[in-house]
Amino acid sequence: MTQRSRIIGVASSLLLLTVVLSACGGALPAQQWPGLTVAGGTVYVISGSPQQVYLLDAETGVQKGVYMPQGQHKGLVYWSPVTVSDDDLAKSTSEGPLAFVGFSEPQAKIYGLFAFDATTGLEQWSIPAQDLILAAPVYSKGVVYYGSSDGQVYAIDVKTRMVKTGWPFRAKEAIWGAPLVADSQVYVASMDHHVYCLDAETGKLVWDFEAKGAMAVQPVLDAARGVLYVGDFDARVYAIEASSGKAVSGFDFRADNWIWSEALLAGDRLYVSSLDGNLYALDPANGAVVSPYPFDAGNPLRAAPAQSGEVILAASEAGKLTAVNTTNAQPKWQWPSGVPTAAIYTTPVVVDGTVYVVLMNGQVVALQADNGVQRWTFTPPQIG
Amino acid sequence: MLGIGDIFTVAILRPMLNALLWLYSILGNQYWLAIIVFTVVIRLIMTPLMLPQQRSAKKMQGLQPRLKELQQKYGKDREQLSKEQMKLYKEAGVSPMGGCLPMLIQFPIWIGLYQSIIQALGHQPLQLVGLSQNIYPFLQRLWTEVPLNRFFLGMDLSFTPQQIGGLTFALPILVAFTSWLQSKMMTPTSTDGQAASMTQSMTMMMPLMFGFFSLSFATGLSFYFIVSNIIGIVSQGFISGWEGLKFWKGVSLSSVLGGGARRAASQSPSSKQVETQPTGSQKGTQSGSKDRRKKKRRRKR
Repeated sequence: MTQRSRIIGVASSLLLLTVVLSACGGALPAQQWPGLTVAGGTVYVISGSPQQVYLLDAETGVQKGVYMPQGQHKGLVYWSPVTVSDDDLAKSTSEGPLAFVGFSEPQAKIYGLFAFDATTGLEQWSIPAQDLILAAPVYSKGVVYYGSSDGQVYAIDVKTRMVKTGWPFRAKEAIWGAPLVADSQVYVASMDHHVYCLDAETGKLVWDFEAKGAMAVQPVLDAARGVLYVGDFDARVYAIEASSGKAVSGFDFRADNWIWSEALLAGDRLYVSSLDGNLYALDPANGAVVSPYPFDAGNPLRAAPAQSGEVILAASEAGKLTAVNTTNAQPKWQWPSGVPTAAIYTTPVVVDGTVYVVLMNGQVVALQADNGVQRWTFTPPQIG
Repeated sequence: MLGIGDIFTVAILRPMLNALLWLYSILGNQYWLAIIVFTVVIRLIMTPLMLPQQRSAKKMQGLQPRLKELQQKYGKDREQLSKEQMKLYKEAGVSPMGGCLPMLIQFPIWIGLYQSIIQALGHQPLQLVGLSQNIYPFLQRLWTEVPLNRFFLGMDLSFTPQQIGGLTFALPILVAFTSWLQSKMMTPTSTDGQAASMTQSMTMMMPLMFGFFSLSFATGLSFYFIVSNIIGIVSQGFISGWEGLKFWKGVSLSSVLGGGARRAASQSPSSKQVETQPTGSQKGTQSGSKDRRKKKRRRKR
């Protein structure tokens, strides 16, 4: 072997090794899909680079404001979706309703719930947390409830900005689904395979239900039946008596892959989307699949189903939004008509005949709910 | 049509991921243990490829005196020297590049293992979504294992040492050290001064690279490297002897900086190296350790 060939061999080996090792390195690609909320004529979307909360006019898509917690934020940031308060109890120094959002920047050790004026985007106050807040906070009668990745469930009195006595409640694993507040109870599903029912005032455990798989969604309550529905990573949907925490006898449903979205009660059916790519319509009494469902979207459905009149919207990871006819499970329309540009993980929001969708590239699209025709698009500016 | 990414997912990532998950489920839900057992299994599977390389390393050591003779005979004619060396390698059934194949085969293993760790131990939602698509249908029972136990001695196996800090910085050091030790045991000392210098550089640079990059690896991947290296050291020891483990011998600042081939003979007094009589242009370019061992063996006879 000549010296030259040795040198080439050594250099090539080192170069190849560098390429391979660099492919293995770097911090883990930790991300969350963008949050999307529509309230009071405003679209609140987590988008852009760096990510911020953009306030858009729901009618035109024109940017009205932005929100970013005060200070310099150079590291990777995590957001929960925005929640807007719906009564005057939340107003203090702000003129308009308050919006709440979880914001974290692990590199700077910043974790907290932040409140900003829902109209102007001006920050009002914040409360620190100990870990990421990834699920939407829930506002009810002057209290904000939210869970964090360390398993804690908080209840913050908006007037005093203090954690209510008796809280936080601690689950054994992360809380990735928003709590459900109903009838003075807080229902929260955890990655520790449990659904907890807590007293909304004191935070005391009322009951807990153990599922087979982890849960990362908000439970759904059928108030008429008094039954909670929640899906888990074991591909099951559970029907739980809200008063006792016991499984409803005779209810049985299992999909072919994880369920990572909230169920939708619409009419006399329970709609469930699964990572197996199917949109199911179930009988809420026993979990039986109603013919002619399921609708096969062809790609995993992380986003929850959303209703718009006589169609159920199914958004797939391939970036296709399909309006599925509730009666015959056939597509009424699809968006986009061509090749999708980015995946859809976030549940679409339907308000006043308009469907709002946010793609994984941060783009927000507003479509006419009856035919899927695009009304406007917002593309966030890429900053620095 | 399947892209390269899809082929990698189907052929490498999914089998590795499912193997790790299955091991996790039968080893008391300890992912670090699953990684160790997985590493042992991988090394066993690769034994047919690694063994010839390790035996070749031993043969190379035995060829050193003859290589030295060729060096003396053709020292000035580099081209003829190369030809004669290659002829000798061929006669002895040794491939100087034989060590490349096992390493090349390990490249996709490293990448696959890294991605398996990210997916299996994902602690953010988007990290876990992919996991649902990569678990084999006949292992659906593993769905209930999610989220997996990511910790070992308080260390999150999915985080990098840079993220965790503290004692986890010992992992890249261990990766570099065990890589170097393994490399040292497998790399024969060459009598060719320039080749020896190059070998020395490789022996030092590659472990340093591994150690450096390990700062940015998930700690679980560093586990794999350390265990894999230890297995390599042990198997090489059984094949070639344990002399190479005495890493403190023959090490000085100058040898670390790349002059080891020339100066190894003059290091520790307890070394078995015996000074040989350099001739002509070979002064300062020999390694005497092999000659000393040969002389000792002759004396014993």
